[in-house]
Amino acid sequence: MRADHLSDDRLIELSLLEAPSATEQQHLSACARCDARRVRMQRLLDDVSDTATVAADAAFPPERLERQHSRILARLLREGRPARVIAFPAGQAQPEPGVSRTRPRSRWIAAAAVAGLVVGVIAGRFGHEYSFNRPGAQVIVAHAVQPQLRAPGTAGPIQEASVSISEDEFLDQLETAVESPAAAALQPIDELTPTAWDIR
Amino acid sequence: MSRTPPRRAPSTVAGAAAPLAPLSRDSQLAAEIKGLVASGERDAARDRFGELVARQQRRAVRIAYQYLRDAHDADEAVQDAFVKVFTHMTSYREDLPFEVWFTRILVNACLDLRKSRARRLRWAVPMSSTSEAPPTDPATPDPTPEQRLVSRERASEITAAVDSLPDRQRTVFTLCHLAEQTTAEVSQALGLSEATVRVHLFRAVRKLRRLLQPGERR
Repeated sequence: MRADHLSDDRLIELSLLEAPSATEQQHLSACARCDARRVRMQRLLDDVSDTATVAADAAFPPERLERQHSRILARLLREGRPARVIAFPAGQAQPEPGVSRTRPRSRWIAAAAVAGLVVGVIAGRFGHEYSFNRPGAQVIVAHAVQPQLRAPGTAGPIQEASVSISEDEFLDQLETAVESPAAAALQPIDELTPTAWDIR
Repeated sequence: MSRTPPRRAPSTVAGAAAPLAPLSRDSQLAAEIKGLVASGERDAARDRFGELVARQQRRAVRIAYQYLRDAHDADEAVQDAFVKVFTHMTSYREDLPFEVWFTRILVNACLDLRKSRARRLRWAVPMSSTSEAPPTDPATPDPTPEQRLVSRERASEITAAVDSLPDRQRTVFTLCHLAEQTTAEVSQALGLSEATVRVHLFRAVRKLRRLLQPGERR
């Protein structure tokens, strides 16, 4: 009656997901072999779960969970709160809420300063672009790590790259360069070269 | 700590949309918090959220620790997940179990952390064993040193076997077995079909059995 034996997948389902049907229950009661397999499967899963639970609980005793709980709530408190303005110079009296402390004259001074700043920034930007757009003054930043992307023997167009890239983008580029076939040719040179931690 | 199957209601035919159990206490609490946030009562919402954190925290650190194997990283991932949950509370759908939504966010937090850690380790100069060693002593006291040693070795074997699972299998196994979610819930949490979840689960258990019970044959 081998056809009646429970399959491995069914045993997994019975151990993890579902209760046996009446027929399966009957079979398990009658078939010592299948019952033993199910017991072994259950023991394996219990071992895995116990090991994981014990390790996690040892790493996170109740005190640590309490600390974590407090930190989460503290972070939430900071999330919804506007940035704190520190009084300067220190010791100056705090303004009453809803009452403006700025006088009309100082408002004009502040407005003039802001206007001057804006004009300065715009003028500076125009001047910068003008100087860089002159013939012969163009600056091209090219990827130093991607020459392998060009066909061999051809110079290929130099790609202009953004000057400021995020750390993730930088690491992406680094990984792409390392995984390319051209990098494999550099492997012997890399092996000859001592790494930073070898020198220490 | 052993459990007796079945722990859950039987799921439906693979691939079909399974009806989910009635909403848990945590889901009701989450819906209440969402209402408070929506009505601008953030302080009250935060207080209630503290209760929700306390209820889910233990389960969350177990899942995160199983993923990351590092207490600091697991701590960070769990904190990030809870903060993200609160800040996106208004997008919580009350008709779905909170646990599923939260688990999805937590798993993503763990994966992000693992990815960034792997990247940094790859390009950083290795430090001289400053990383935190995983705790090896089980909380339950063993009567003799020999038994403790055997238990520790067995725990190492099990940990290594789980670590050797491919990412997707490990995720599914962790959620189904340790987080005690149904395949329907895991399918929702990971955005996979239920049939795919089952395939990954079966493969994971078969591989674990091959590694941990080598003599076991059908």
